[in-house]
Amino acid sequence: MTQCWQCREPVQGPVCAGCGAIQPPPPHPDLFAILGMSPSFVIDRKAVDKAWRAASRKVHPDRFAGASAVQRRMALQWTAHLNRARKVIRDETQRAWYLATGSERPSEGANKQPDPAFLEEVFELNMLRAEDPEAAILRAGELQGTEQARLAALFAAQEKGGSLDAVPAILNRLNYLSTVISGGHE
Amino acid sequence: MANIGIDLGTTNSLVAVVMGQTPRVLLDDDGRSMTPSAVRYTGAKQADGSDAPPMIGWDALDNAVDHAETTLTSVKRFMGRSLDEARKVAEELHYTLAEGEGHDVVRIQAGDKVVTPVEVSAWILRLLYMRANECLMAEPTGVVITVPAYFDDAQRQATRDAGKLAGMNVLRLLNEPTAAALAYGLQENSQGTYAVFDLGGGTFDISVLELTEGVFQVLSTAGDTRLGGDDFDRELAKLILSKAGIENAKGSVLRAAMEAAEQAKRDLTAGEIAAISVELGGQSVQMQITRAEFNDLIRPIAERTLKSCKQALADAEMEPADMDGVVLVGGSTRVPLVREIVEEFFGQKPLSNLDPDKVVALGAALQADILTGSSELSDDLLLMDVVPLSLGVETMGGVVERLIWRSSPIPVTASETFTTQVDGQNAVDLHVLQGERELAKDNRSLARFKLKGIPDMPAGLPRVKVTFTVDADGILSVSATEQYTKTHAEIEVQPSYGLSDDEIENMLESAIDNAESDVDQRLLIEARVEAQQVLAVVDKSVKADVDLLGGNETQVISQVSDALREACESDDRKRIQELTTKLDEVTAPFAQRRIERDLKLALEGQDALQVLDVLDRTVKAAEDAAN
Ligand SMILES: [Zn+2]
Repeated sequence: MTQCWQCREPVQGPVCAGCGAIQPPPPHPDLFAILGMSPSFVIDRKAVDKAWRAASRKVHPDRFAGASAVQRRMALQWTAHLNRARKVIRDETQRAWYLATGSERPSEGANKQPDPAFLEEVFELNMLRAEDPEAAILRAGELQGTEQARLAALFAAQEKGGSLDAVPAILNRLNYLSTVISGGHE
Repeated sequence: MANIGIDLGTTNSLVAVVMGQTPRVLLDDDGRSMTPSAVRYTGAKQADGSDAPPMIGWDALDNAVDHAETTLTSVKRFMGRSLDEARKVAEELHYTLAEGEGHDVVRIQAGDKVVTPVEVSAWILRLLYMRANECLMAEPTGVVITVPAYFDDAQRQATRDAGKLAGMNVLRLLNEPTAAALAYGLQENSQGTYAVFDLGGGTFDISVLELTEGVFQVLSTAGDTRLGGDDFDRELAKLILSKAGIENAKGSVLRAAMEAAEQAKRDLTAGEIAAISVELGGQSVQMQITRAEFNDLIRPIAERTLKSCKQALADAEMEPADMDGVVLVGGSTRVPLVREIVEEFFGQKPLSNLDPDKVVALGAALQADILTGSSELSDDLLLMDVVPLSLGVETMGGVVERLIWRSSPIPVTASETFTTQVDGQNAVDLHVLQGERELAKDNRSLARFKLKGIPDMPAGLPRVKVTFTVDADGILSVSATEQYTKTHAEIEVQPSYGLSDDEIENMLESAIDNAESDVDQRLLIEARVEAQQVLAVVDKSVKADVDLLGGNETQVISQVSDALREACESDDRKRIQELTTKLDEVTAPFAQRRIERDLKLALEGQDALQVLDVLDRTVKAAEDAAN
């Protein structure tokens, strides 16, 4: 429980119930929490949108059109957080990364190289792709299926105390595989 | 206490306000709702020798044929545009562009006066504002101005500048299709997905919107800022001139042909045939044009709209048949061929129970009313706009790296970290672009700026985190922080083809001082936040590397820190800033020793990865300390 910066009453959530002032957003809010959701790998996109709409209605800058410039700025920051949260949570890769690491997935993906055996596999797939694209895409698709199943299994096991340490590596491999399938074009 | 909505159109502009629960377009003294977006500079002087105000609206169009060179119309096409871009269509104009560099903002030669599109637009806004003032018998509190959804950052900046220049409190720039859907959505009181087809005088917009649980969300938007009903007029005028055997028409002859074309278009919208009778350069010309002839003439232009429709639907991941309704906006949607094309594409009759010329202004008034916070709808309804075009920066080799993708809901922020290429480099150049193309040169250049004040460090060591923010109006601002030293620089992006703040300042006839206290308050808060960040970093590093402190350093640092903490309790912004700088100065040698030691430790292992790791950790530590 913190104090409202304006009226000094205790305040919970982004807007003070007492005086209506918007509160300063935390610099790195929990993306699930600001949408009022519990962290989970399995989500319903419609439910995410619903939560996003409800949260946005409270903090959008339009709600503070008549307020001070400082409040409008904070409203902008809150809404930008909400829009980012919706984007990350709706996307399976970004969601998995966020749940496993607590941070957003960098645009270039993981810096760590995958294990040599996997790299060899990708190399062979790329060779195969030049000769027989259909077979290569089929094979890459199979590998994708395997990795996705592992991902889902890790998150299922997490509820019983399992570790998510292997998630970034799996996402990294999935990234390689989708590059093989798209032929190097994103 | 009323907010007003203004539809600042290419050909016509309107002002509306909510009275009771109903939005109404305000009429002029002659009972007309539409005001031509025209301004005529007469060259007349006032008693004190200063320029008399220009003629605006209908007055400006009186005898326009005789004053073609000084009657400025359709200037919305040049808002936020460069002279190079404007020159491409210069031959179609009945007025002259002023000389200048190609990358300059467009300036128009109106008699002996040189004016910008922003100034011309400001006069139109003033006229509408005054009308509202008279009708309401009070000065409007704030204004919502509509813009095409496809307007890029520079065009939005220019529109906001025009409002600023007219002395208004611009609450919000609202996308025209969103305004139209708002006007319909409330009337129909329905949930669902809508396509808004907006063919105005000079711009075409198509947007896909969804109304769910009170949130109007733009799912996607596409369009063409160089396509509109004026193009139909121009094609018709060309046909009239060629039938009359006139080549290279300019000035008043071109203007007369355009007026005849506009009338013929109206006749061909209502009927099957237009009889034209017009004086062209002293020659009396009579001719007839049939609907079929007209349709053939304009079909290629009208069908260009479908390309954008397909794009917008694809972006929203929808099919034409998924639309619950198709809303028509803009006078040009009255043209029968346009309605035919729309109906055929979407497989349903478009909605047309609101006047397509007024629907945007009505929606703007509704949004203006919602923004008062006291409307019945204030708690229930929210308009969420999206970024019309992706934003990115130029990277090595002239390739664009996208940071904010097209159709992301706004406001939105994105960050990217940049570094230096050579040892001791103190500045990094950034080029911000808007558009969907791979190469920087194919996109619209929004701004170039320099990140300055990067501390002396080896190449690749500085981490400059640049944050791009697009506000609810779709306007971009950029801030930058060097991650290790927390050197902070706020940069307001100047559009490459826009007006600088100084220029706007010079154009403002009187200083606007009402926002001053807000600004002071913000600067004070920013100064405090910055001071606290610096204090946190210093505290943490003093604890971590106490062995690197020599002489009376500990004592000096703690004295300055205490003084700064005390200053933060006060409202003395200057003192806070001075002490923050002082603290930076007295800790600089210590910070340098910390960097050197970390680097030395890492380099002893001669492992590049390890060096990177140390850098990551130091950056992370600085970040943690700051938060
Ligand atoms: Zn409060």
